[in-house]
Amino acid sequence: MTPQTAKRINIAGLAITLFTLFCAIIWAFPIYWGIISSLKPEDEVIRPYIELWPDTLTFQHYWFALTETQIGKWYINSIATAVGVTILTVSTSMFVGYAISQLRFPLRQPLYWLILASFMVPTQTLIINHFVLIANMGLLNTWAGIILPQLIHPVAIIVYKQFFDQVPRDFREAAVMDNAGEFRVLFKVYMPMNWGVTTALSIVTFIWSWNAFLWPFLAVTKTEMMTITVGITQVNDAFGVYYARQLSAAVLAGFPVALAYLLFQRRVTQAITLSAGIKG
Amino acid sequence: MAEISLNNVSKSFGSVNVINDVSLTVDAGELLVFLGPSGSGKSTLLRMIAGLETIDSGTLTIGGVESQNLAPGQRNVAMVFQNYALYPHMTVRDNMAFGLKNIKLPASEIDKRVADAARILEMESLLDRRPSQLSGGQRQRVAIGRAIVKEPAAFLFDEPLSNLDAALRVRTRVEISELHQRIKSTMIYVTHDQTEAMTLGDRIVVLNDCKIEQIGTPMDVYTYPASRFVAGFIGSPAMNFLKVEMSGSGDSMVATLGDGSRVSLTITVPGSGQYELGIRPEAVRVTDGKGDTSGTAKVVEHLGDRTLVYVALKDGTQITAQDTGRSTLVAGDQVNLTFDTSQLHLFDESGKAYHSH
Ligand SMILES: Nc1ncnc2c1ncn2[C@@H]1O[C@H](COP(=O)(O)OP(=O)(O)OP(=O)(O)O)[C@@H](O)[C@H]1O
Ligand SMILES: [Mg+2]
Repeated sequence: MTPQTAKRINIAGLAITLFTLFCAIIWAFPIYWGIISSLKPEDEVIRPYIELWPDTLTFQHYWFALTETQIGKWYINSIATAVGVTILTVSTSMFVGYAISQLRFPLRQPLYWLILASFMVPTQTLIINHFVLIANMGLLNTWAGIILPQLIHPVAIIVYKQFFDQVPRDFREAAVMDNAGEFRVLFKVYMPMNWGVTTALSIVTFIWSWNAFLWPFLAVTKTEMMTITVGITQVNDAFGVYYARQLSAAVLAGFPVALAYLLFQRRVTQAITLSAGIKG
Repeated sequence: MAEISLNNVSKSFGSVNVINDVSLTVDAGELLVFLGPSGSGKSTLLRMIAGLETIDSGTLTIGGVESQNLAPGQRNVAMVFQNYALYPHMTVRDNMAFGLKNIKLPASEIDKRVADAARILEMESLLDRRPSQLSGGQRQRVAIGRAIVKEPAAFLFDEPLSNLDAALRVRTRVEISELHQRIKSTMIYVTHDQTEAMTLGDRIVVLNDCKIEQIGTPMDVYTYPASRFVAGFIGSPAMNFLKVEMSGSGDSMVATLGDGSRVSLTITVPGSGQYELGIRPEAVRVTDGKGDTSGTAKVVEHLGDRTLVYVALKDGTQITAQDTGRSTLVAGDQVNLTFDTSQLHLFDESGKAYHSH
């Protein structure tokens, strides 16, 4: 490599770095702004000009959100429903993905096409049907009511199928020769060989379900049954909107997800690449 | 130890008939080799015995039990795969124990069998490693160990050595042979390598185009190949094939080679006319005397114990001959060749073989 080319590469690298940094700032600024605003007194928040640091730092809004609202219950509802959705989605997808990938049964291919096709239907278009159905089942304002419609998750099935397809056939045959039934093959061979997918799918499903708003908003009318995303819209009173309060509640709502993301960063990236790859 | 027999079995993949009406018996305790070129149906036949492929028609008995409809696990056979198929997330110990846990053997029995197998295969120190921490040869042993612990009625090997380097292949081949002598179990061994087949097999089944060409001991197959295909496939360097015109009758038949030289044979064929004469390089000797025919040495290969001479006869026919290890021939020399007439074969148009007697 000549010095010139080295320099050119350096300049290109620098430009890319600066551009990435710029994008990162644009992306991160609203988060910074949200956190900063939640730490300002309400009158400071509504001042018309941009102040990057509060004049008076206050935790009063957090105190309000934590003591004057039902945020504890909302957390519990969110955790319960998101964990429920995650476990049910991942476990059913694992079985369906395995069956479609490894078992030979009539109508296997049409079934797969059906699952692929269901992928094309946006959940929002079904939301009225879901509401009527769940209402008829008497499940409004229950965890089950929040969970059930969120279980439609063909991506997880497709991801599992793709991964199971890639396991060399020898392993399955060796296990079959080793007297393993289908459940043993799935749980002792295929799942352990694909733990990465399972963790990645679990995290993504959890985050997705934690952040779900539209359906939980419709399915729940009682304050104590709300999930946190729905609950934070309730942090106002008869006198109108308090921006700082809402922002503090939003920060609290996002906190567990941010934590999960930080802990499993690499897996999440992997999962997003996975599902992006499949969505094409 | 169990006898395995296939009776008139057939198998099609879709509309393609792959195995057609094959019958075959593997004696109890025998090491039988399926030998054939790629695509000849060796693996398919083995997998039909294992239960990994269904048998469309005909019967399979293993140790006297009719097995064609049993699940693979119930056939009491163990298979060693070409790519080993060791479970990557399990230790060597767990790999070997997996099949035993599946049939719910008591833990003490599992431990004992795993320990025994590890001792037989000299891999006690590897038990707590994972497959990724093993060399190719060690993985091969684990794969064999996984079969041994099941104490099966028969072992099935599908090209188990093809992923090893040449030296290790020879060593492992010897080890498999020793293992067979020690545990005296029935084994079926699939390979496309005729040296492996010759050295390992009690008997060899030569397959071509999904049909059995010949079943016999290695020496039988080598000395009395049943067809033109077997003659050409077995032996290295390969047998020479020369177009000849047969004349005469009974015990005094004469073959006329392309270059006009005449060789009297002790082979009886039904009629005169066009045949192919088959003769192995070691039966074609370079001689100082007059010989049966003569030609020009094109290439001389010194192998130490013997010398291979590639000779072009006057009509251009190529023939591989053998000379002593200390041969002083060089390319371009004129050589006289004699045929050992006790080791001659004739093949008619259909490939059917006639041997010297
Ligand atoms: N699942 C299958 N579907 C269709 N045809 C198959 C299938 N498996 C094998 N065949 C065909 O059956 C024939 C025999 O294949 P087989 O695998 O038994 O050959 P082989 O002798 O083991 O060859 P190799 O030495 O390459 O392993 C081949 O012509 C192959 O194309
Ligand atoms: Mg094969």
